[in-house]
Amino acid sequence: MSFHMNRRSFLAASTAALLVPTILRAQESDIAIGSLTPNTGGGAPFGPNITAAHKRVVDAVNAAGGILGRQVRLFQENSETNPETAVRAADKLINVNGVCAIVGTFSSSVTLGIMPKCQAANVVQMCTSSSSDIPVADEKGLVFNFQPLSPIWGRAIGELVKSRGIETFGLMALNNDFTRSMMDGFIEIVGQDALLNEPFYYNAQQSSYRSEVTQLIEKNPQAVFVPSYVTDFTAVYKELYRQGYEGTVITTSLSTGPQFKEAIGGAAEGIVHGFPVPAINSPAYKEYLVEAGLEASDSVQHPFGTAGRDQLTTLLLAIEKAGSTAGPDIAKAVWEVTTGEGKTTVYNLADGLAALRAGKEINYSGASGSIEFDEEGMVLGRDFQLSEIRDGEDVVIERLEY
Amino acid sequence: MNLQIFVNALVNAALIAPPAMAFSLLFGVLKFPNFAIGGYITLGAFAAYTFNVPLGLPLPLATLGAMLFTGFVVWLAHVWVFKPMQDQSAVTLLVVSIALTLILESVVRLFFSADVRGFDIPLERPWKFWGARITREQVEIIACAVVLATGLHVLLRHTRIGRAMRAVADNPMLAAIRGVDAAKITALTTVLCGAIFGLTGVFAGLDLVIEPLVGWNLTIPIFAAAILGGIGSPYGAILGALLLGLAEELTILVLPSTYKIAVGFVIIAIFLLLRPQGLFGTAEIKK
Repeated sequence: MSFHMNRRSFLAASTAALLVPTILRAQESDIAIGSLTPNTGGGAPFGPNITAAHKRVVDAVNAAGGILGRQVRLFQENSETNPETAVRAADKLINVNGVCAIVGTFSSSVTLGIMPKCQAANVVQMCTSSSSDIPVADEKGLVFNFQPLSPIWGRAIGELVKSRGIETFGLMALNNDFTRSMMDGFIEIVGQDALLNEPFYYNAQQSSYRSEVTQLIEKNPQAVFVPSYVTDFTAVYKELYRQGYEGTVITTSLSTGPQFKEAIGGAAEGIVHGFPVPAINSPAYKEYLVEAGLEASDSVQHPFGTAGRDQLTTLLLAIEKAGSTAGPDIAKAVWEVTTGEGKTTVYNLADGLAALRAGKEINYSGASGSIEFDEEGMVLGRDFQLSEIRDGEDVVIERLEY
Repeated sequence: MNLQIFVNALVNAALIAPPAMAFSLLFGVLKFPNFAIGGYITLGAFAAYTFNVPLGLPLPLATLGAMLFTGFVVWLAHVWVFKPMQDQSAVTLLVVSIALTLILESVVRLFFSADVRGFDIPLERPWKFWGARITREQVEIIACAVVLATGLHVLLRHTRIGRAMRAVADNPMLAAIRGVDAAKITALTTVLCGAIFGLTGVFAGLDLVIEPLVGWNLTIPIFAAAILGGIGSPYGAILGALLLGLAEELTILVLPSTYKIAVGFVIIAIFLLLRPQGLFGTAEIKK
């Protein structure tokens, strides 16, 4: 097949080519930001809270005149907690909506899955994911993680359960990077000698978990630690119960949400679970409760909704500070508005913008934690909390403050 | 530990054997491997959940409802999807059946989301004997599987309908000449197998969790058990399920648990290479 271009089609094509920048400029009047959250699938208990938090921050800033004199436009997409869906959504956000940042990704596979596209387009990413691969894959320094990496989870849960005087453990974990590295962190703290079995991994979506559980409790450890997700943990826990295990079962709070309690009922009594929680005494957390119309509660602490608020607040402060929507400029400014001492501490976007416009250096302290980043863009610390299920409710038994 | 391995294998087999028998029976009549079984089982689990939890029926009644519902759906799938395509090759029908399972799963997701669910019955602690543990629920699942296998045996060997089913599976044209209404027998087989998949959905919901992938997770073990026993041979499927259960349990003693999921695939590969007719199937002569 050959391609012929006559004078008329050449002129038409040239005119179209000249018009393209005009169309792009027309889109540039708003600052476009992508919110890619797990509204269904494994992250469904948390996604809608993240989405709502993003939206509240944007609505408030637009009502107050926007950023850099421009309105902020939020494009919302559901990742379905599924990397394939997320990649398609990221494609649309980057190429059709022209976003400068994609915020709110939750599972590590989603954050990592969309990363090549974001890096190629210089789009900033803000996530709550825990895989240790994230800083490694982020070659351009455009990714900021608002949740500690999973070895930190393992170490924190290890510290908390060790102080409860448990001496022997059985360990098995779901076979993925998040849970594997959590197990490594846990072993660092409790020590190899406390383990009664060689730690091992199981796959999700097995047709039975019987032999794994038999192996786990063979030597009757005082406690078993099973880093997992809710679907596999529900099946594993049923099997632990049915095989008569009476020691303490420890896991992450991601696995023991309302769905789990509903499916297991009274047999869930006594399960110990832990995960990062907001700094409940910080002014930003109290403001978050008011913004979201929530009551303060010991057992329910909105770790991901608060992170959503912090992501968008940090992003918009960084855009204001950078005076630009180019990815690398925003990324550089994120450290400037969140990390470092001797600056004015601010707890919300309005105060932060006012301070920046008054020429001050600021440090945003968020609702999910104090929001300080290491040189790889990973949040430095979060509070951790250990709870126990009693009468179908989570009762806080210990806290580890950062 | 050792006795526990056999108990574990037995419970696995009780879960896998009935649908493997149904899969074989369906293959015999329809002449293609129907991978929509994953979707059927999921549907059975969610139907029973709907009857049991939101509607508050006791589990035995909910199970009966789920079996009727799944039987109806499998018959409907036969009439709407597979019958109009019956002249297509087995490979085409296999691909269509995979598509059907994805559609059924998506429909379940649409109405129930991907949340995990459980039936409204409390978990039970096990009975202990000689160092092994088994729960009443697991004994009931095993008993159900035995009753079902015996029932199917009686049906196939000692009733007119069973003979007609075997005749249609063997040679539909000859059966038709002898006055067997092949269409009616096929429809009946689909309903019967559908009911068994519905029951499996309930067992899987009890044993694992009720979620949209519950059926799909059982598909490979079921397929492996059917191949091992000889596809088209319902009795072989029982032995296939027992051997597969045992193989999976023993694997974990020598290999990391993450390889367990591969046992089914390895068995399928070995048998398809060395003895495609399985342990009990008869070799087919291609003309």
